[in-house]
Amino acid sequence: MTDTVQLPSAWRQVSLEAAFGWHLLPTPEAVTWQTFHGRIGAWQVLLGSLGEPGSNWLLHEHDPLEFAAALVAIWERGDCAWLPGDDRPGSLAPLASRTRARLGDIEQGYRPGMSHPPCWGEDFSPQRIALSLYTSGSTGQPQRIDKTFAQLQAELTMHADFWPLENRLVISQVSHQHIYGLLFAILRPLFEHAPIALTPCRYPERLNAILTHLSSSRTVRPSTAVLISAPPPLERLPTHLTWHDAARSLHRVHSSGAPLTTAASQHAFQLLNTPIQEIYGSSETGGIAWRDQQMEEVWCPFPGVEVHKDDTGLLYLRSPFLASNGWERQADRLRMVENGRFQLLGRADRIAKVGGKRLSLTAMDQSLATHPKVVFARTVELPDRRHRLGVIVQPTSDSLPHDHNARHALIGSLRAHLSSTYPSTVVPRYWRFVDDWPSNSQGKLTAPLIVRLFRDLDDTRLPRWLGSRFSSADHCDIQLEIPERLRYLRGHFPGNPVVPGVVIIQWVIALAHEEGLATGTFQRMERVRFMQLLLPGDRASLSLDKAETPSGLRLTFTLSGERGRHANGQIYLTPLEPGDDE
Amino acid sequence: MTHSLELELKQMIIDTLELEDVTPDDIDPDAPLFVEGLGLDSIDALELGLALQKHYGIKLDAESDDTRQHFASLNHLAALVEARRVK
Repeated sequence: MTDTVQLPSAWRQVSLEAAFGWHLLPTPEAVTWQTFHGRIGAWQVLLGSLGEPGSNWLLHEHDPLEFAAALVAIWERGDCAWLPGDDRPGSLAPLASRTRARLGDIEQGYRPGMSHPPCWGEDFSPQRIALSLYTSGSTGQPQRIDKTFAQLQAELTMHADFWPLENRLVISQVSHQHIYGLLFAILRPLFEHAPIALTPCRYPERLNAILTHLSSSRTVRPSTAVLISAPPPLERLPTHLTWHDAARSLHRVHSSGAPLTTAASQHAFQLLNTPIQEIYGSSETGGIAWRDQQMEEVWCPFPGVEVHKDDTGLLYLRSPFLASNGWERQADRLRMVENGRFQLLGRADRIAKVGGKRLSLTAMDQSLATHPKVVFARTVELPDRRHRLGVIVQPTSDSLPHDHNARHALIGSLRAHLSSTYPSTVVPRYWRFVDDWPSNSQGKLTAPLIVRLFRDLDDTRLPRWLGSRFSSADHCDIQLEIPERLRYLRGHFPGNPVVPGVVIIQWVIALAHEEGLATGTFQRMERVRFMQLLLPGDRASLSLDKAETPSGLRLTFTLSGERGRHANGQIYLTPLEPGDDE
Repeated sequence: MTHSLELELKQMIIDTLELEDVTPDDIDPDAPLFVEGLGLDSIDALELGLALQKHYGIKLDAESDDTRQHFASLNHLAALVEARRVK
């Protein structure tokens, strides 16, 4: 191992006129390395005003240019960046108390002013910790994972060699607060001097427009791109858009976060006509292996990574991207095939103790999946209910329950199915039926999502949340169910419980807020109508549209279910002034 | 049994055991509460025993055959409450 890290020369020694990135819409505009240097300097001025070198900084910033500039400024001072996985207050608070300050586009986050010439610090020591990732897995609290410059350098060098970007435009649909987006969408282009697409590109319409534009553009050079994506956007690439021209400018698509189903890989390949290369790894391990399912299903370890199967059937590996030189075990089961390649067989059995009995949750999931009405199921332990299990079930689309009776009957049938194998004390008590498997932007069912799915158990004022889907930044569809135990049902019309209209309005505002769609104080309502009564056990879909109008934020909502429309209308909110407390 | 006591007991069972997919109308007063019928189990029996103590001051011996009798159906439970309630 060398005594210094090459990484800093990536930004210290560059051609300042070259494009660091491109704004692509409405008209293409290059952002030079000179500009990037100015932003590094601006962050250095800000950091200098906030604390002495040697500090840790909490950094969350959506804008890739500002994020990269902040990271470089932190490193050049000899400091360390702590990256929360998202910007929810609960994710930030535990880090904020142990860092010098919050930086970026978050509440109480400092952002820099005018551009300023940067200054470069000393060489980086390989063993210095560059950053700490806080990633919440499917269980429990976020884990802190430190990355040294040696680890980052090893992985960046390997990728530059294995999958060189060759100056192509890097377009990202994933968060760079996580290891995959951080490496592939920020550090790789930085290290290899490939330009970054600075226009946000999370939605397929925008992606299509940018790629189509690229294929005919004479302004943007290079004219080919590498797409950094994940299962959720790839699975949902809409077929009603024409991808033919867009596909011509794509050189390669990467996907990581969770495995793509074979069908999703096929779907994306057909539309994009580009290799869909998946990366398997984790925050701890970095990249482990890759595959292209259009070629074969098995995974091939990256150069330098050794993968074996231990005597319990789990994957263990040795890798230059790990913190240690030894072997580390993963919770995934595998089958080795020839030449070091392997097939993943799912996670190691999840074992729970319920009512004094030990059982495999994995086996229960598999048992549920054999029911003819079940596509997929995941049994979960709930933090405050040690004696009972919850379960998330995706039924076949024609089996999704839309009212109390259908839900009661489906649960009865699933309970009976499990009771042939399990004692009734371990059969799940809390059932959540989803029409689309809940996952975060990396394609993972995370602990916060599980908490949200079962939150109505502890707060009987809430509707039961069963999933949200954004089709654009301003439009969101939310699946809801009316819990039979909802507090507002009691006493409204004795004997005939219905959800009062005022409660529906309250939910619309709260959900718009929670989804980050619209925040503000209630101003007025217009054209609000309540049609079909909303009854306990009903399933309903809430469609929310945000628009900015001269008289405030307008939230247009429609709540509909199996029997028709329950309510619709418009709610006007007065946006909060910056600095207002919410 | 009075209608109000029937409804009260049904609500107590639903709330105590967090039976999300059950409304009072779903509970047949004559049907078994355990195994078939409502499908309750031994842990539920313990929880219900505690609830009866809290709401009505009734103490049950979980091991006795009587207890099983009392939990046979909602009507049996109501009869127990009417006969032995102290609050």
